[in-house]
Amino acid sequence: MTLSLRQANILIIDDFQGMRTMLREFLKSMGVTAIDTASNGKDALHQLSITRFDIVICDYNLGPGANGQQVLEEAKIKNYVGVSTVWVMVTAEKTPEMVMGAAEVRPDDYLLKPINQSLLEARLEKLIARKQSLAPIEASVKALNYAEAIAQCDHQLKAKAINPQEILRVKSDLLLAMGDYVGATALFESVLATRDVPWALTGMGKVYFHDKKYAEAKEVFQRVLRENEVYMEASDWLAKTCAIMGQHEEAQKVLLDAVKLSPNSPTRQKFLGDTAYKNGSLEVAQAAFEKTIRIGEFSPHKTPAAYTALAKVFSDQGSPIDALKTLQQSKKEFRYNTEAAIQTAAAEGVVYQKLGQADKAEAAMQEAERLIEKAAGKLGAEVAIDVADSLFKLGRKEKASGLLQEVVRNNHENAELSKSIEALFEDHGMEAEGQALIAESRGEVVTINNQGVTLAKHGDLLGGANLLRTAAEKLPHNEVILINLCGLLIGMLSKEGKSHQVASEVRELLDRVRQINPANKNYHIYTAALNRIMNGPGG
Amino acid sequence: MPDEISFNDLIASSIHDMKNSLNVQVSALEKIAVQCRDRGDAPMYDELGRVIYQSSRMSLNLVELLSLYKLGKAIYPVDMDEYAVSDVIDEALMQSRFMMEFKGITVTTDCTPDCYWYMDRDLVKGVLVNALNNAYHYTADAIHLSARLHNRWLELRVEDNGPGYPDHMLETGILGSERTVNFATGSTGLGFYFSAQVAQLHKNGKKRGTLSIENGGTLGGGCFLLMLP
Repeated sequence: MTLSLRQANILIIDDFQGMRTMLREFLKSMGVTAIDTASNGKDALHQLSITRFDIVICDYNLGPGANGQQVLEEAKIKNYVGVSTVWVMVTAEKTPEMVMGAAEVRPDDYLLKPINQSLLEARLEKLIARKQSLAPIEASVKALNYAEAIAQCDHQLKAKAINPQEILRVKSDLLLAMGDYVGATALFESVLATRDVPWALTGMGKVYFHDKKYAEAKEVFQRVLRENEVYMEASDWLAKTCAIMGQHEEAQKVLLDAVKLSPNSPTRQKFLGDTAYKNGSLEVAQAAFEKTIRIGEFSPHKTPAAYTALAKVFSDQGSPIDALKTLQQSKKEFRYNTEAAIQTAAAEGVVYQKLGQADKAEAAMQEAERLIEKAAGKLGAEVAIDVADSLFKLGRKEKASGLLQEVVRNNHENAELSKSIEALFEDHGMEAEGQALIAESRGEVVTINNQGVTLAKHGDLLGGANLLRTAAEKLPHNEVILINLCGLLIGMLSKEGKSHQVASEVRELLDRVRQINPANKNYHIYTAALNRIMNGPGG
Repeated sequence: MPDEISFNDLIASSIHDMKNSLNVQVSALEKIAVQCRDRGDAPMYDELGRVIYQSSRMSLNLVELLSLYKLGKAIYPVDMDEYAVSDVIDEALMQSRFMMEFKGITVTTDCTPDCYWYMDRDLVKGVLVNALNNAYHYTADAIHLSARLHNRWLELRVEDNGPGYPDHMLETGILGSERTVNFATGSTGLGFYFSAQVAQLHKNGKKRGTLSIENGGTLGGGCFLLMLP
């Protein structure tokens, strides 16, 4: 369906009555009739939650409370704006954050003040046309059908789309998300053949990073930044690369430069805080975590981890009262969040221990452990690592190791997680134990997985599947085991004929894989295969 | 202790503020001018037209000064991306439409809709508006704005049918002329300097954008030429 500007349902968000009136007059003169206005972020989000708008014109600076970027982020996360919504950010001047690649969530366009009617009209018409060309691609992405989305990109590129670079860029993101690094490399190289486009160069860096060629990745990200100082995506990746190479001081420097240019990303500030804490720069860490909390307040990136991290800094600085206050705050902010409650309780235990209040420390830890039991196996990896740190600090080594073992087993191919677990053991003077635990846990999974696959290769599909079934029961979140089990079961279905019982097992497994990693390459292939078999003849 | 505010920063923020006030003023004046025209008050309309031209020039100068200040301090967020060149041209024309109508200048363009190029949209638009302003001043009654791809360069031309650039300017080149500050004609060289900086900022491999002037072209007057790699 094609939407015309006149039929569009438009929301104007601006804190100044004068601006709202002016924009409304402009739109009326264009023939638009469905116009709503909001004067602040809260009001805007309320209206966005009840009405599906085609176009949102939002001032970046909305006075006290959330700014335009934060309203956009929250609206996106809460799904108040669909893929087809045009979001235009109005601003008096461009800041580095508004430049390509700076923010994770971007509006469709920025309009520099002063705005006149003809400019606004021209931009809106263009944006509607662009949206319409992207709509089918975005719909497939949203349905997690990446292969279809890529096919649509190719179709658009062939049909001479109005925005070829943008479509190439979307396609490259999809290829990376699907793990098609060869395809992504080819795309980046073809773009880079004519020009050093920063997104394509950064993309090459991501490929190097994935291939564990960290030195090359670092070099590429640095090159992007030499030419484009404000290309935040490259600087975030550079910091990430330095960190995985163990160059934490350098990572801190990169992040400090980045937050100077673009201070309002909670994820970046949190990363800076974690890095500075690792480096023992408590003051930098404190400032970064405080900032994370402050800017996270109106953002969907709000996380209890920032509170517990800040509490740890206070505790290390010898300010346990501030630490407890921070944790109290976290409890209030995340009242209904079990993971948050676990993190907070464990961190409280550490603070009380430092204060010499052994009974209170014990009580907090027991509460944490009770909640861990309750959340059995459902703890996110990051949370588990944070809680394990607290457990180590209180001498509960076994509990901590147990938690970490779970994380490794469920993510045995994730190099970054292994790195941070290794570092955690190292911090607590247990380098050797850590390495042994990681190697052993990883080894167990690899062995079972290989055995299962080998049995299947030799024709014993059922034997292989049963082995992996047992493994999947113990490791309900291991993406590799789950997807390989799917593969074996689909093999059985195609060899031995349709079985609704096996098919429903595969469906459940695929669903779990999708929850863990929607971009799993085989997820899409197996889903298609399963449908083909079950809809095909026979059975 | 609060951070000390440097005089330069103070100037920059003041320029920003002045620019905003001027823009409010210009759009209000344009509204009044249209009212004058509609009720047939020709003398007032002419008078306002001249005031608006001067205000627009001032506003443009302020924008250029501010951009140059930020570029100099390396805090201008250069935003390179691929754009439809015809869109950038259209937007530049929108900004000068009132003035062109006022002086009865016919503006023609030549740019295919599938012409895309890599640039900082706002900066290049600023260069075009500046070139249009210049052409406005010197043209008889026509301006031609064109874009084409040539040997992997984007060539943007703003041409007029006025008397063309004087010989000494053609000899010294565009940046030589910046030194000839002439307050009587209002020529400070700021516009050319700004445009040259913007051209330089556009790089591709070892190639950098260039700015030049010549006489002739399709309309036989002055030609302003921006080449982006």
